[in-house]
Amino acid sequence: MRLTKLSERRLRPACVSKKMKLSFIRPISCCSVSSPATSVKPQKPIFLRPPTFKTTISDLQKWHHWAKSLISSVGSTFLELDNGPDSELLLRELNWLVEDAIETPKSFLQQPHKNYNDNSSVAVRASLEQLYMLWKRRVEERMPFQYVVGCEHWRDLVLSVQEGVLIPRPETELIVDLVDDAIKENGELREGLWADLGTGSGALAIGIARILGTSGRVVATDLSPVATAVASYNVQRYDLEEKVHVKQGSWFEPLRDNEGEFVGLVSNPPYIPSKDIGGLQAEVGRHEPRLALDGGASGMNDLIHLCDGAVSMLRPGGFFAFETNGDEQSKFLVHYIETKKQGNFSKVKMVSDFAGIKRFITGFRGR
Amino acid sequence: MSFLILGRRSTQLSRIPTRELFLFSCSFSSQSPNNSISNYRSTIFYSWYNSSNRRNKGFSSIFNGRAKNPSGSIWGVRFLSSEAAVEPTTADGLTVEGIIAKNWNILDDSEDDWKSHASSIAQSVHLIKKRLKWKRLMYRLEVLSAQLNKADLWDDPVHAGKISREHGSLMNKVEDVMAIEQELVEHIDMIKLAREENDPELESESVKALLGIRRNVKEKELEALLSGEHDNCSCFIEVQAGAGGTESMDWASMVMQMYKMWAQRKGYGVSVVDEMPGEIAGIKRATIKVDGENAFGYAKSEVGVHRLVRISPFDSAKRRHTSFVAVAVIPILGDGSTHVQINESDLRIERYRSGGAGGQSVNTTESAVRITHIPTGITASCQNERSQHSNKASAMAVLQSRLDQLEMARQAQMNAQHTQSLTEISWGNQIRTYVLHPYRMVKDLRTNYEVSDPDSVLEGDLDDFILSYLSTSIDKDEE
Repeated sequence: MRLTKLSERRLRPACVSKKMKLSFIRPISCCSVSSPATSVKPQKPIFLRPPTFKTTISDLQKWHHWAKSLISSVGSTFLELDNGPDSELLLRELNWLVEDAIETPKSFLQQPHKNYNDNSSVAVRASLEQLYMLWKRRVEERMPFQYVVGCEHWRDLVLSVQEGVLIPRPETELIVDLVDDAIKENGELREGLWADLGTGSGALAIGIARILGTSGRVVATDLSPVATAVASYNVQRYDLEEKVHVKQGSWFEPLRDNEGEFVGLVSNPPYIPSKDIGGLQAEVGRHEPRLALDGGASGMNDLIHLCDGAVSMLRPGGFFAFETNGDEQSKFLVHYIETKKQGNFSKVKMVSDFAGIKRFITGFRGR
Repeated sequence: MSFLILGRRSTQLSRIPTRELFLFSCSFSSQSPNNSISNYRSTIFYSWYNSSNRRNKGFSSIFNGRAKNPSGSIWGVRFLSSEAAVEPTTADGLTVEGIIAKNWNILDDSEDDWKSHASSIAQSVHLIKKRLKWKRLMYRLEVLSAQLNKADLWDDPVHAGKISREHGSLMNKVEDVMAIEQELVEHIDMIKLAREENDPELESESVKALLGIRRNVKEKELEALLSGEHDNCSCFIEVQAGAGGTESMDWASMVMQMYKMWAQRKGYGVSVVDEMPGEIAGIKRATIKVDGENAFGYAKSEVGVHRLVRISPFDSAKRRHTSFVAVAVIPILGDGSTHVQINESDLRIERYRSGGAGGQSVNTTESAVRITHIPTGITASCQNERSQHSNKASAMAVLQSRLDQLEMARQAQMNAQHTQSLTEISWGNQIRTYVLHPYRMVKDLRTNYEVSDPDSVLEGDLDDFILSYLSTSIDKDEE
């Protein structure tokens, strides 16, 4: 099976030169460790950094107090402006930042500090200057909170994220549940080869790898070298190097060797119509990578490409689940598959997210 | 430990030469901190005291206090049916009730007076029995024993497991109390003997042992307050502001803070599950999870309406305001309990406060979900976790507990007060008043217990209120 070849390649010593790789193992250049853009070094999220900075309770309180006053000046202006965070949400985020940054956050958050002259020392994972700078960027520049702390809690995972990588959304969590349902119905899917196309932080690939059986594997691809570096870092953090292979390249390009072998394809491709990019919430429009958001004029360029490619990539009976911009795109795509890909797929349907928006399309490759 | 086994052992023992008996008694006494009778002397005592009946009892108490054989419950059946009537008595026929009747003065436990110790222990035993609802408990035990003896019991293993668990747990309680009674009468015998024999050392050791028992049994009085079926569970505490807008929402957040601090003082884990903040200040409603042994047993005392009287910080005219907050407490049933089966298809899961398009267009750390159980209309939500997945899991746990609570209330109308949900708590059901102005006082309307320092109470110093409520409510409704 090709799959075994794949793992053999993974085991190839890292000393194999890049040049050799390019000519020799071409399409499957394994894992971002060996990807062409090794220069991208993933950042460690704050909560994983050692608490090497010392500060005093009173200085920390001053920072906390300042951060809160910055929040209260926001009120609901962002909410009204572009559906951004209100002060309540920002307060919760500030608590999370404290949780991530301070070695003993509970004692700091839960004790009502009446004494502002407490000079006892606290161990912190970022310097006080960084904390000031980070919170200023959060509120004034609208930097997404997840870039501030360098991580996103997604399902039961804590994934490292940084600028240049799309922050995985709560909606996308459901794709793992959809896959879970599918593999519960068909055991073959549990042990087969999956692909996560446009993996970003690696969220879907990792989430799926954790519910697959012992021989189930996931290939995660992304065009962005930052994304592949971050995804590889996350894969490594969850000890899944044997199960998840991260590859750099556009959509199906890095998967050509395994064409027709996949039992499942998932993707959260860029799907926002180009004309809407300008009006996005500041956290998204100003900070997240356009590459991961902009789906062309209709927003469906990549989704259509994925639907087309799925025909040849999937094994008969294979499953796919793609995320879309909502009702309109989902309806269009189901119609597209039913008319243009007639006979290739079965049980094609739309699935709603928890907000009641038809967020996903799923289906099976006909047998 | 079984009486049957004990009986066998004892008969064997009576055949064993005294030296072996000595070793045997040694090994057991040395494990027992309360039973500080010197091994050597106790051996002499037992060998001297040659009524075989009495000797059996002497050992049985040592056994009872110690190792609990898991198979004991089955043997216990025999013990109950054949020997329950045998009350521990001293050589001259003094029973625990008899000791109480003597009305010996109870002095401070620093006084070396055996009658005082004995009287205190007897009082405690009496209180514990009352709290455990002794007669009802013995009757229940008999019923369970009868069921356990049925040949077809294990045809339904789930039912059998439940029966045998309940039997075991009741048996433990009964054995604990009986062991204390037995030790009490033995030590009294020992003291009398020591006096006859003119052995002050032996006497003082027994007095010391009585003191140990006295202190130990005092702690058991408290434990006996928490003998309800779900008392040992963790729980959710829910707080909801009454009418009156910001004023009562602020009061709701003060009450919530009080419970958080109370729980922390008790060493419980505290986490906020759900919180709906007020527009200006405070909270409309909130749910916290309190994790730890007996959390429900204590917190259930707080169910009801809490009233605050103060000069409002939100009223520019500085007028006096009265605000109300309702508190509900829900036990989180352990793995051993039967949970209500939740059908996935009966659930509606919604994202709340979902903004606009969602998906890639929105970046928010807000991932709260609300789960509705369609058949009952019961909902649960959670918003304080950092992922939607975890929020959903937490909300599911709340929903499960609410449905379990509903089922409990349905099954048993008794004890209904503790199983009331927030929506059922009548605003007329005031349990406690907190007055910050014109005078300062917190008073429990059920027990009349009051303190003049509201600040300490609002900082979580609630145990006295809780214990006084538990003891009055339990001690009054039996006998």
